[in-house]
Amino acid sequence: MHKITALGGLLSICLAWAAGPAHAADQVISEWDQMTNTAASKIMNDAGARFEKANPGFKAEQAHILNEAYKTKLKIAFGAGQPPCVFASWGGGPLREYVKSGQVRDLTPYLAKDPAYKDRFVSTGFNAVTIDGKIYGVPAENTTAAVIIYNKDLFARYKLSPPQTWDELLNVVKVLNANHIAAFALANKAKWPGSMYYMYLVDRIGGADTFRDAVTRKNGGSFAAPAFVEAGKRIQELVKAGAFAPGFNGLDYDVGASRRLMYSGKAAMQLMGSWEPSTIQNENPGFVSKLGYFNFPSLPGGKGDPKDVIGTVGDNFMSVSSSCKNPDAAFKLIQALTDDVSAQARLADKRVMPLKNLNVSDPYLKQIQALVLQAPSVQLWYDQELPPKLAEVHKDTVQALFGLSVTPEAAAQQMEAAAKAELH
Amino acid sequence: MHMTLNRPAALPLLRWPRSPAWLVPALFLAPAVLMLAVFLLYPLLSSFQLSLLDWNGLGEQGRFIGLGNWLHLLHDPLFWRALGNNAWLALFSIVIQLPLALALAVLLDKAGERSRWLKIIYFLPLLMSSVALGVLAKNLYDPNFGPINLLLQQLHLDGLAHDWLGDPAYALGAVIAVVCWQNVPFYMVLFLAGLASFPEDLSEAATLDGASEWTIFWRIKLPHLRGTVRTAVLLAIIGSLRYFDLVFVMTGGGPEHASELMATYMYRTVFSGFQLGYGSTIASAMFLVVTLIAALALRLSRRFQTEV
Repeated sequence: MHKITALGGLLSICLAWAAGPAHAADQVISEWDQMTNTAASKIMNDAGARFEKANPGFKAEQAHILNEAYKTKLKIAFGAGQPPCVFASWGGGPLREYVKSGQVRDLTPYLAKDPAYKDRFVSTGFNAVTIDGKIYGVPAENTTAAVIIYNKDLFARYKLSPPQTWDELLNVVKVLNANHIAAFALANKAKWPGSMYYMYLVDRIGGADTFRDAVTRKNGGSFAAPAFVEAGKRIQELVKAGAFAPGFNGLDYDVGASRRLMYSGKAAMQLMGSWEPSTIQNENPGFVSKLGYFNFPSLPGGKGDPKDVIGTVGDNFMSVSSSCKNPDAAFKLIQALTDDVSAQARLADKRVMPLKNLNVSDPYLKQIQALVLQAPSVQLWYDQELPPKLAEVHKDTVQALFGLSVTPEAAAQQMEAAAKAELH
Repeated sequence: MHMTLNRPAALPLLRWPRSPAWLVPALFLAPAVLMLAVFLLYPLLSSFQLSLLDWNGLGEQGRFIGLGNWLHLLHDPLFWRALGNNAWLALFSIVIQLPLALALAVLLDKAGERSRWLKIIYFLPLLMSSVALGVLAKNLYDPNFGPINLLLQQLHLDGLAHDWLGDPAYALGAVIAVVCWQNVPFYMVLFLAGLASFPEDLSEAATLDGASEWTIFWRIKLPHLRGTVRTAVLLAIIGSLRYFDLVFVMTGGGPEHASELMATYMYRTVFSGFQLGYGSTIASAMFLVVTLIAALALRLSRRFQTEV
């Protein structure tokens, strides 16, 4: 008997120690994101601390989880009915799955109540999280476009200039190959890096409406449309011209396989999200000064505007789950995560929140910001825009195009067949 | 006089007259049965139940579609391809791992105490985390920087320097090689244990009769290990059919599904494709395949006796 009380006492001490100061369940606001590097997670934690200070009695319980693991963990948490109050997503298709299942709170009324807060953001910032006219998230992290970054030293050595047309690009490939340098570093194991080429080609060939029509199934839109087939042909043209460093379909972007090719001078260019220089800054600071970038070239006879970009206005979006016991506090936490202090801290970390009055002094970031904000069309990454099942088919077919194991026609047909089954 | 008073009382349980014969074993078995029911039977049945749904795994339970997922599975070329890849993995596991492990075990057994350090070194791959090993192997195979291709190029064997993980023709083989390398020590230990129980006087008698080392191995030691070999084959088959980790880390099942296994396909379906229902169908099918093949293998080899 004494033993039991002693054990009970010990247990309660442990529990008390683990729990810290007591908070009622609805005063703990859990928040998950995938900001795992030191600088980025500190910005989130600092915002959490500001939220706690401004709302005494509340506690922000934050977790930062690595990208791929984050997607899995979030899905399991929602499936098990224990999602975090506030969570980050990329908007688009996966968020739509959560919304469709009634798991995400409509933030439109909260934003309507605080127009001063909402109007800080550029209006396109809400596109990726607007579903059936309702807003389900707030853009939080960055303004990003896929651009071609290149090694200026190599271009200078071989007297090359950034290509503006497809033919110029093919010429760059030829000159570099003659000097035993691969034009592009591509790490396509996860398939989304290769998808960037495809998305740009479709846009440049068929215009921004090609993909939109295919997804909405309006205006006779189809994934078997000539622009999609043509995009596949152009990819295979590049592959056959030896434009990519060997091994591309097996290289892993997450462990830096493509950047390593650039650092070593074995490859001269990489089509990647504009976050790449900040990654390089962390990995190999000396290399940053060699970097230049240009927008994806135009195609002969293409209908797309060469100023269109593939990218995202917001990058990560913060949403509130329906099961959150205190949505008002959750929204306040989101506001802290996206306030001016956070915006400035992100800027110092080379990320540009999509705010109207954000004064960017870094010349590179300023150019990217202008590129995205002035683009006639900003297409979200297909693999985030499409319903998840279809996104898998898209990534699979594009990887097969790169591997030359499927014809452009067959790849387009496969995608269209899956789209017919999935989109109504 | 005091001695008689202090005699210990008999255990009460033994004197309990109404305890039926089954009660005690039942009580002892209960915890194990409970554990199995909660952690094995329940998930198994519920995953079968989920396989009857069209569900993205979120929110309200999905739509009941009966055997729709199962019919789709039967016509899903990707599933059959994955199953085929699992079969290749099983075959190579048996053909490569077991003989290698047996050879190592025999040699180590022969060397006895002197081989203590070698035993530890050979055992190391099994102790490494599969994820770390996978990342390491990815670097070895890297076509631009990896030592394998650099070495081949130095030897002017450029024709052999393939794109190991990026070319569908080589990806599965490249991964299987690493899987084998990691698992050989496991079977080596199994065989070492089998050899430890080998009675020395048998080989002494055979030596006196003029048998060579070779004859002793094939005619006496190997038959003695029959049970162990059978266990090893069974474990290799089951392990190969359920395999996941190294493949997931090294290729993720790609490129173009060239190294897709049932488990990686299931993972992708559920966690990337948001199809919990169909993913559960794959999982249940995997369970059925493993059970059927394991039962078949057991039956085919019933006449041998298990010794380890």
